[in-house]
Amino acid sequence: MLLEIRDVTKIYKGKIKANDNISLAVSEGEVFGLLGPNGAGKTTLVNQIIGLAVPTSGMITINGVNIVANPGYAREACSFQAQVQAPISGLSVLQAIELVGRIRGGRKPDVRKRAMELIEKLELVEWQKTMGLIISGGVRRLVAFCMAAVTPGKIVILDEPTNDIDPLRRRQLWQEVQTLAKRGSAVLLITHNVLEAERVVDRLAIVDQGVIRGMGTPASLKEAEGDAMRLELILEPKTAAPSLPDYLKQPVIINRRILGQVQPADIPTTIAWARELKEVGTIEEFSLGPATLEDVYIRLVKNPDDTANHKETS
Amino acid sequence: MAKWFRSYFLMLKWVFLANRTWLTMNLVIQMCIAVGFIFGISYFYPAITPSIAKYLTTGAPTLILITVGLVMVPQFVAWARADGTFDYIWSLPVPRMVHTTADATNMFGSMLPGIVLSVIFGSIYFDFSLNISPLVIPAVVMISLCGTFLGYTMAFAVSKPMTTQVLTQVIVFAVMMFSPVMYPASQLPGWLQAVHKVLPVQYMADLSRGTLTDLDVNLGQAFAVVGAWLIAGFVLTWFLVRRRQ
Repeated sequence: MLLEIRDVTKIYKGKIKANDNISLAVSEGEVFGLLGPNGAGKTTLVNQIIGLAVPTSGMITINGVNIVANPGYAREACSFQAQVQAPISGLSVLQAIELVGRIRGGRKPDVRKRAMELIEKLELVEWQKTMGLIISGGVRRLVAFCMAAVTPGKIVILDEPTNDIDPLRRRQLWQEVQTLAKRGSAVLLITHNVLEAERVVDRLAIVDQGVIRGMGTPASLKEAEGDAMRLELILEPKTAAPSLPDYLKQPVIINRRILGQVQPADIPTTIAWARELKEVGTIEEFSLGPATLEDVYIRLVKNPDDTANHKETS
Repeated sequence: MAKWFRSYFLMLKWVFLANRTWLTMNLVIQMCIAVGFIFGISYFYPAITPSIAKYLTTGAPTLILITVGLVMVPQFVAWARADGTFDYIWSLPVPRMVHTTADATNMFGSMLPGIVLSVIFGSIYFDFSLNISPLVIPAVVMISLCGTFLGYTMAFAVSKPMTTQVLTQVIVFAVMMFSPVMYPASQLPGWLQAVHKVLPVQYMADLSRGTLTDLDVNLGQAFAVVGAWLIAGFVLTWFLVRRRQ
């Protein structure tokens, strides 16, 4: 494995445990997702991989090199897109990408060629000479991605790369993420956008409160949901949630959305109930389908006791 | 070593370009402050003797260098740490001290025009001849780097940006009012003179005086003390930037 994290615990001053005994491994050419809610400890884990923070206990190796003792190796091996916007106010888009490419050891002509390739693929041509100070947040985030991808490390770490980005460019960005993996880099993708991650990652870990709640391929994680189907109800605006039937398992209410699981035997009853809710104007719409990664995510984050069922890797 | 220099020049380009939006403004402000010091403080004196004129003219660049090093640098660093700039820069495959040195070089470059202008303006305004020694170059570089690295030390040692801001206000007040930069140390009370025998400020001003005018200054001592503080600031900065959370 290219990146190995073994039993990493990070306790900050004030006894805040940001990571609790985390172990995972990522291989070359793999897109590995690290999913979890805000404050789950994802960024703390990344900071320890790139040498900004030191684990309280545990071991992190890249290519077998202990990077806790040798953070310089980690900086050489990892190219990084931070969650916060890149500090490029005074640089033009092209300057920022090229400079980072060269700082990361790329040769000038190679860096120029690759920078232009990324700029064209992500449709940034019209901004290539524009100063970072006056470009929009979404374009700035795409530039930060290009900075991480122009001379990619053995490991490319992307922390929330699609925030603020429009759907079309988002799709192109995901293609580029997969291209990075095809060219041999391991991509560590940190996100709380579960639906998008499901389509891109080869494997993933769901992290909450510093603990890995589940890990595996999207398919293996969904398998554990069994035959249960996913029911989603969208409430009419300013309407209170109806009382939920007992056969709707593990219900979760997020704003106007009600999610829950239904066993195959209960499907006819469920459809009848949902239709009735629609007729009386309680819900706007409903859908019933196979379980998604979002269901797994919500269940593991809302019900941490289920963690043990998902500790296996694929 | 070649890799170090390659990284240094690339980081220098990065720092210059990243800061260019405020560099021009900073340059103009530094020049205005330099000239303003000479004008403003001359009003304190009923009559300007040649000796006072030389103190004012050589004190102004020292004050600029100290102000930028001990006030602006810590504030910039505090903001940059707060907004995540340092996390990004420190994730690049460049030793942290290379970036810090590139940043210090950029700071020095932004101060230089103000320093030159204040000296030329002071000598013309007060009508005296400068007595410029070749040692002025190492002297100015040392004053600047000493202030800048002490500024980095403060910025990296203090974790809260607001605390840094308050500390820098106290420092700028103390340097302006209670340091023998624009006037001789003999005008201070005995205990404060003793304090300034240890601190670098008086010796920074001596370096400027001794290399720009014919004022009687112990240049050897000034180089030694400022050099010692510069080394201390560099080592402390090096130690602090290597720290990880």
